[in-house]
Amino acid sequence: MVSYPSLFHRSFFRVLPLLMGLVLAIPQPASAGDVPQQGGSGRSSGHPAHNGPADHPPLEVPEGRECVQPAEWMRRNHMDFLKHNRDMAVREGVRVKDDSLKNCSTCHKSREKFCDRCHAYVAVAPNCFECHDYPK
Amino acid sequence: MTTLDRRAVLGLGGTLAAGVLLAPGVSLLAAPGERTEASASRRWAMLIDINRCTPDCSACLTACRKENNVPLFGEPDRDIHWIRKVELRDKDQRRPTVSLPVLCNHCEHPPCVHVCPTGASFVRKDGIVLVDEHRCIGCRYCMIACPYKARSLVYHETRRSPESNPNVPIRSKGVVEKCTFCVHRLDNGLQPACVEACNSVGGGAMLFGDLNDPHSEIAKRVRTVTSQTIRADLGLKPRVHYQGL
Ligand code: HEC
Ligand code: HEC
Ligand code: HEC
Repeated sequence: MVSYPSLFHRSFFRVLPLLMGLVLAIPQPASAGDVPQQGGSGRSSGHPAHNGPADHPPLEVPEGRECVQPAEWMRRNHMDFLKHNRDMAVREGVRVKDDSLKNCSTCHKSREKFCDRCHAYVAVAPNCFECHDYPK
Repeated sequence: MTTLDRRAVLGLGGTLAAGVLLAPGVSLLAAPGERTEASASRRWAMLIDINRCTPDCSACLTACRKENNVPLFGEPDRDIHWIRKVELRDKDQRRPTVSLPVLCNHCEHPPCVHVCPTGASFVRKDGIVLVDEHRCIGCRYCMIACPYKARSLVYHETRRSPESNPNVPIRSKGVVEKCTFCVHRLDNGLQPACVEACNSVGGGAMLFGDLNDPHSEIAKRVRTVTSQTIRADLGLKPRVHYQGL
């Protein structure tokens, strides 16, 4: 059991650095929150990310359709999404047709004009296509 | 976890249960095919009738290679075999020589899984032994552990050809692979490719099904005919049974 006095003691010491931090932060008008926007050359890639436009060639996306998840979310999380689905499919046999790697290509028809363009820009090289079929 | 267990106990496929959970009534019809799940209430098994398997027939081998894009390099000690035919000779020549299709036995106690250092080899809930090729580092412990020599390491890079099956991945060099009982087909309600071929082009020697379902053809046959497993002495409880051995 924790007695009241000691609980007060601990929480006070936990808050102490916070209070000190506050005191230090107040005199500085520009804190770490607003980093100047980078790459703001006005070049539009069509789908700028939250924290500044990306400078990769325009991505080919199908007109009048929606991604399997909100595009904004997919931009940031498709890698975890795919790997999660992969583990579920291979390990648990949970195959959700819409969420399979195969299904991406029904809309994103060209790997070069979509996946690769962005991956080249951010310098990632997923090895998935050594084994999985995806139209060039 | 508890929901999965309950489903398993009730013997419902994941499809149905998930459909009900997501949108009662509406998705019930659309659900099958949209979502699948391995069920712990199943026990997939194969029964091969040796008397119907002729030495010159290779329907199962061809079908397997075609379905799973398994290449033939033409190097006897490095070729990949998911299923192969082994000639069985009687030492005293009192019984005729038989030709035995040998594939992964999907043991209940698989030594390959036991030795795998990365968790790439595992047993799926429905008893199928698989290699998660995404996790395999190619150490080959499993190949040594397997008494059936059912596993192969990919020694060469492979490419897709226009004839490749686009729905099945090809392979990476340095990864171990083996028969999957065609999980991708099972999950979609189809039989393994070898079984299908054996029953259409071949001699009809292969039977595949769920041993836990007492009404399934295979459960009935296993109950009524004498069948054996190979290397039963090892106590691994293989799921590939042979009749007439
Ligand atoms: C060594 C070959 C290989 C590589 C490399 C590979 N996979 Fe796979 N993948 C497979 C195999 C084999 C399966 C099982 C196929 C099955 O059961 O249908 C699979 C299944 C999957 C599945 C489930 C089936 C589907 O189509 O939805 C997903 C998702 C997946 N892989 C994603 C990936 C991703 C993402 C990568 C890259 C990070 C990747 N894979 C790299 C071989 C590979
Ligand atoms: C039904 C068609 C469809 C399918 C299937 C689909 N997408 Fe999309 N995806 C789209 C559309 C349309 C957009 C653009 C939406 C927008 O910009 O508002 C998009 C956007 C994206 C983006 C963001 C691109 C950007 O603008 O930065 C990523 C990443 C993405 N998809 C990945 C995937 C992956 C991975 C899969 C397979 C699991 C997939 N998509 C399946 C239609 C689809
Ligand atoms: C909007 C840009 C963008 C698009 C479009 C895009 N990706 Fe990515 N992808 C990324 C980024 C950024 C990463 C790296 C994330 C990291 O390393 O944390 C990544 C990583 C991945 C990974 C994980 C790689 C690894 O080794 O961990 C996979 C798999 C992947 N993407 C698949 C796809 C597929 C398939 C498509 C096309 C359908 C696609 N991506 C389209 C930006 C994109």
